[in-house]
Amino acid sequence: MARNLLVQVDHNVCVGNAMCETFAPHVFRLNDNRQSEAVDPAGDSEEKILEAAANCPVSAITVKDAETGEQLFP
Amino acid sequence: MGMLLQDDMFTPEVIADPYAYYGRLRDRDPVHWNEKYELWVITRHDDLVWLTRHHELFSSAVFKNDPRPAYPAIDESDFGLYEYVRNYQGDQFIQHDRPEHLAMRKVVHGYFTPKSMEEWRPFVRNAVKHLLDEAEKKGRMDVMRDLATPLPVLVIAEMMGVPEPDRPYIRQLAEKLLYIGRGEHDRMRPLTEGMKGMIEYVSPLVDERIGNPGNDFISVLASGEREGVFTRHEVLVNTSLLLLAGHETTINLLCNGTLAFIQHPDQWAKLKQDPAGAAKLATEECLRYDSPVKSIQRIATQDVEMRGKTLKKDARVRWFISSANRDPNTFAKPDTFDITRWPNQHVAFGSGVHHCLGATLARVEGQEVFKALAERFTGFRIDNEALEYQPSITFRSLKSLPIQWQ
Repeated sequence: MARNLLVQVDHNVCVGNAMCETFAPHVFRLNDNRQSEAVDPAGDSEEKILEAAANCPVSAITVKDAETGEQLFP
Repeated sequence: MGMLLQDDMFTPEVIADPYAYYGRLRDRDPVHWNEKYELWVITRHDDLVWLTRHHELFSSAVFKNDPRPAYPAIDESDFGLYEYVRNYQGDQFIQHDRPEHLAMRKVVHGYFTPKSMEEWRPFVRNAVKHLLDEAEKKGRMDVMRDLATPLPVLVIAEMMGVPEPDRPYIRQLAEKLLYIGRGEHDRMRPLTEGMKGMIEYVSPLVDERIGNPGNDFISVLASGEREGVFTRHEVLVNTSLLLLAGHETTINLLCNGTLAFIQHPDQWAKLKQDPAGAAKLATEECLRYDSPVKSIQRIATQDVEMRGKTLKKDARVRWFISSANRDPNTFAKPDTFDITRWPNQHVAFGSGVHHCLGATLARVEGQEVFKALAERFTGFRIDNEALEYQPSITFRSLKSLPIQWQ
């Protein structure tokens, strides 16, 4: 059973580059402002989510273990 | 529009001070039809963000989708050269729309992640130190010639595995490529010389990395050919593009930022209090206040309504970073240089799916330079008050920035 994740996108820095959506398409979706939102943190594997976060060109994505609070990215 | 005495983006006044002219447009006619060059001029921050994030409405394949002649007009005898330019520019990955753009960007995107660019910071720091050691011996420097140009050329050439003796030649070619954003009627000649020179120069490097890939950036581009994403011509053109993009805009960031500090002693004093701590936000403010790139163009893919006007399908649409980054609806005291500004949602790197690939690298170089200057020098003064800018609507490029320290 995969652990639960807390995935957040900082809208002060997100530029809508949309790379996250291509790496983890079930987790990230662009909103009406065309900024990314984590709509379902369980939508893709942890590996894909971390890859999406690493490929964010402005480091807008934070990934944490939802239970322990441990920061997994950055 | 009657209230503008002249509506030309290439006059010496507008080149010297883009902020007054584009600021007027932003206040009075933010979606402005420029009759002279037959294009829309977009100047508000919110419009620019909306436009760049609706890439399906505004094509980046500007050269492929625009059959009209070059503007400003070029010599008729050079129309053939313009076809060469269109063909060359059209193969750049940034001149593509989705889905091709996504496939092409993915080839190169992973090389430029914030984490991998961070690994270049020690190299950048060391290069800055050496350049400043050399300059300090002389007691003065031209920031352009002695720091802002050699640093990013060194970094991108190192990434691409360009041999050291060739680097001045790369810079010569780059200077010819910069005619892309200028207005001279005979500009196609130096421009195509630069393009042909680049293709000729990078061809053997690419040939070598296709057969024998390493971990350099040309090998990354070459992998795109093996995967069937790029043709050979596209690999060559994109190698040239990134060699150019990897340094030209950073030169402007370093020069324009240094100039901003000279013109704002209070902000320089603030940076000096804590160079390492302040450099990050200070670099963002340099990017906003006097942005390296002034404007970029798109082509409308369909009729688009903006602020009550209809931008017709196939119209040229040019968006101005220089005015968006000074928009009072987005930034408090937009004409004030404030190195602690946060949040700072400037659009110096554009926005949306075409957001600058090398943004993190430019940031690392800016942060290391402004920090090193503040750690080393008390202050500067400009050696020659008559600063001049290149006559480009694309780039905000000083011709030189001679300074002495106090």
